[in-house]
Amino acid sequence: MKKFWVLVLLSCIAIFTVACSGKDTKTEGEAGEKKPNAEQTLKIANDQEPAGLDPHKTPAASSVRIYSQVYEGLLTFDKDMKIVGQLAEKWEQPDDLTYVFNLVKGVKFHNGREMTAEDVKYSFERILDEKTASHIKSYFANIDSVEAVDPTTVKFTLAKPDATFLANLTHSSAVVVAKEVVEEKGDLQQTAVGTGPFKFEKWVPDNSVTLTKNPDYYIKDTPKLDKVVYYTMKEESARLSAIRTGEIDFTTVSAKSAELLGKSKDLTIKPYQSLEYSYVGFNVNNKPLNDEKVRQALSLATDRQSIADIVWNGDAVISGPVAPSMSDWAIDVTKEEFYQKDQDKAKTLLAEAGYPDGFEIVITTASTYPDMVDTAQLLQQQWKEIGVKATIKQIEWGDYIDTWSNKKADILIGRNGSGTDPDRALNYFFHSTGSANVWNFADKNFDSIVEKGKQTIDTGERKQLYTQAQKELLNLSPNLFLVSPMNFVAVRNNVEGFTPYPHNAQNIIGVSIK
Amino acid sequence: MMYAYITRRLLMLIPVLFGVSIFIFVMMRVVPGDVAMTILGTDATPESLAQLRKEFGLNLPLHQQYLNWMGGVLSGDFGESMRSGQAVLPDILSRFTITFELTLLSALISWIIAIPMGIIAAIRHNTKTDFSVRMVSLLGVSVPNFAMATVLILVLALFFSYSPPVGYIGFFEDPLRNLQILILPSLVLGTGMAGAVMRMTRSSVLEILRQDFIRTIRAKGARERVIIFDHALRNAMIPILTIIGMQVGTLLGGAVIIEQIFSLPGLGQLVLTAITQRDFTVVQGSVLFIAFVFVMINLLVDVLYSYLDPRINYK
Repeated sequence: MKKFWVLVLLSCIAIFTVACSGKDTKTEGEAGEKKPNAEQTLKIANDQEPAGLDPHKTPAASSVRIYSQVYEGLLTFDKDMKIVGQLAEKWEQPDDLTYVFNLVKGVKFHNGREMTAEDVKYSFERILDEKTASHIKSYFANIDSVEAVDPTTVKFTLAKPDATFLANLTHSSAVVVAKEVVEEKGDLQQTAVGTGPFKFEKWVPDNSVTLTKNPDYYIKDTPKLDKVVYYTMKEESARLSAIRTGEIDFTTVSAKSAELLGKSKDLTIKPYQSLEYSYVGFNVNNKPLNDEKVRQALSLATDRQSIADIVWNGDAVISGPVAPSMSDWAIDVTKEEFYQKDQDKAKTLLAEAGYPDGFEIVITTASTYPDMVDTAQLLQQQWKEIGVKATIKQIEWGDYIDTWSNKKADILIGRNGSGTDPDRALNYFFHSTGSANVWNFADKNFDSIVEKGKQTIDTGERKQLYTQAQKELLNLSPNLFLVSPMNFVAVRNNVEGFTPYPHNAQNIIGVSIK
Repeated sequence: MMYAYITRRLLMLIPVLFGVSIFIFVMMRVVPGDVAMTILGTDATPESLAQLRKEFGLNLPLHQQYLNWMGGVLSGDFGESMRSGQAVLPDILSRFTITFELTLLSALISWIIAIPMGIIAAIRHNTKTDFSVRMVSLLGVSVPNFAMATVLILVLALFFSYSPPVGYIGFFEDPLRNLQILILPSLVLGTGMAGAVMRMTRSSVLEILRQDFIRTIRAKGARERVIIFDHALRNAMIPILTIIGMQVGTLLGGAVIIEQIFSLPGLGQLVLTAITQRDFTVVQGSVLFIAFVFVMINLLVDVLYSYLDPRINYK
């Protein structure tokens, strides 16, 4: 009897060992081939499943990083956040309302058809069509007409001057799609046919998306990779173990894991400053937050550097309403009055506002994101020092979005993307009629500055206006802007030619495997 | 007789599923947030929200929405995911095969460990062997499987430089790779399940072994193996089967956490993602499907009872 069970146990162990070791024999074989001419397949692990592939309808970052390899727009940002041409070879602006783009010649869609000015016209009409419900429609609301002058020239006419127009054209969703594909499939959620360096091959839900090289790409010898596979691995520990053992080549990691992984000699951690910043949003209609002195007091009681140190492991910089990585526009906030931690002054302001003993308040945050919860806890401690007793309410993501858009919370912790133009960060989030102004914030002076900024073409003058607008916001403090985190990408050492930058963190066009 | 019983049980499915469908439909509408908001996020404008809601039929009165959905379901069309546009039913089915395989493997592992160990513990009642089995099973029941999974992943990666291959592949496409992917999650789930089954087997076999008929069989000079396997175990199987039925039924609804940790695109992941994104059609479809599977497993267990113990018959 005993022998029988020993046998069972042994065979179980044997099966397990075989199952595990199967992989080793395989990789040996692959490694043998790898040396002279490595297989050009890049395996990327992402934490979220794409939410759909239609570039005009899907803002989710998990989708953008994939469809950005397949589709292209007229313009894009380079490493230094300067506007450069993508499908547009060159462009000119004959007057305030007109922009003329000359397209790169010989560009083909992945279905083999040549891309023309008609496609650009169609794509923007699709974005502006109410039926598409495009998330970027508001960016292009100033477009009056789009005209295909000839197959490689397209002319945009605006209804009024718009300084943000060129920057908005770099948006990863403002891309050129093929009409026949939209018509055949109804929308582009399940397929992708663009002009980019990679072609869409397949999407296996909650598993992987596979892209292959576009052999007809108009830039010679680009891309170098034959294949890119995006795996969805939601658990960070699984991604970490997979990149350590070489099952994947490339993944985004949190600041804390980046530090751990940094010790491994097989991989490199590449940091870049994100375009995001964390914030504390106040519903300025509700008492006591309707008094700007209370908001200023909370700002003075907030130690932003400790948020950067504790929540982000030191890998974050103090930010205003425009993230510091938008270096041309962001002001240096560290010298600002309400960024200096000063509890006495904060208490005085509270007393002036009629709350000498502080008050009780609820901070709402999303349990989905540990950094938001950590931030809330730090603020709770810091504000306690001036007598503000905060309780933290953690809610699930769907509930959070609902709370955010319906202005249900007094204080909300969150993270915003600064966008590509300061207009986004200022006008969209804080103009009294801005779509994302969920704070009930309304200030006539601020409104008029950002309205003027949107229509001022001269960059120097525009910069002055936005500096003024940022200072105004910091003074009125409808939000407390906290810190802009660094992001980290872990890359195996056999991956060459990869440099992440804020506008394109997964920029794999120049990547090869050695 | 049996067929009549099964038919009756199948007919009872109708009110059960109807109730579940109403419940989940209402639940999804009661929780705050909707799919249009989660899709558009900070890019939402009132117009685009309204347009999306119109597209998904969320602007219609509730009863109309329910009838539209139910009408589709009854004709075999579970609709499309509001988020990704994917057809719901084929997606559920393809994910179910993964969840099914995971459940099967976990259950096998749990039985291989639990039933023999439980029997041994019962036979060697109150000895060191019994004591160790009880300890192990207590561990199995009380260590949360997400903790065990994370530790397993980290230990294998850090000390053995091993991690399971990424990207799920079906069993029929590449059996070896498929098993490599599934063996770790199945081990974690299997050992967790084994704890409960082991305890049940031990106490149930122990109880039977103390009964008079066992003494009679022993007195007649039957061999110990015959006594244990043909008489004791068979009679002890009913409670064991109940607990196994419950475990398998639950697991078939998706092992949410384990699927997430091991990146398995199973049913649990589908439902979880759909809930956070308020993807109504997917949540409704999958919950309905899971309820159906659960009821079917219960039915199967009931039928097995009467096979194991002919005294049980359903009239």
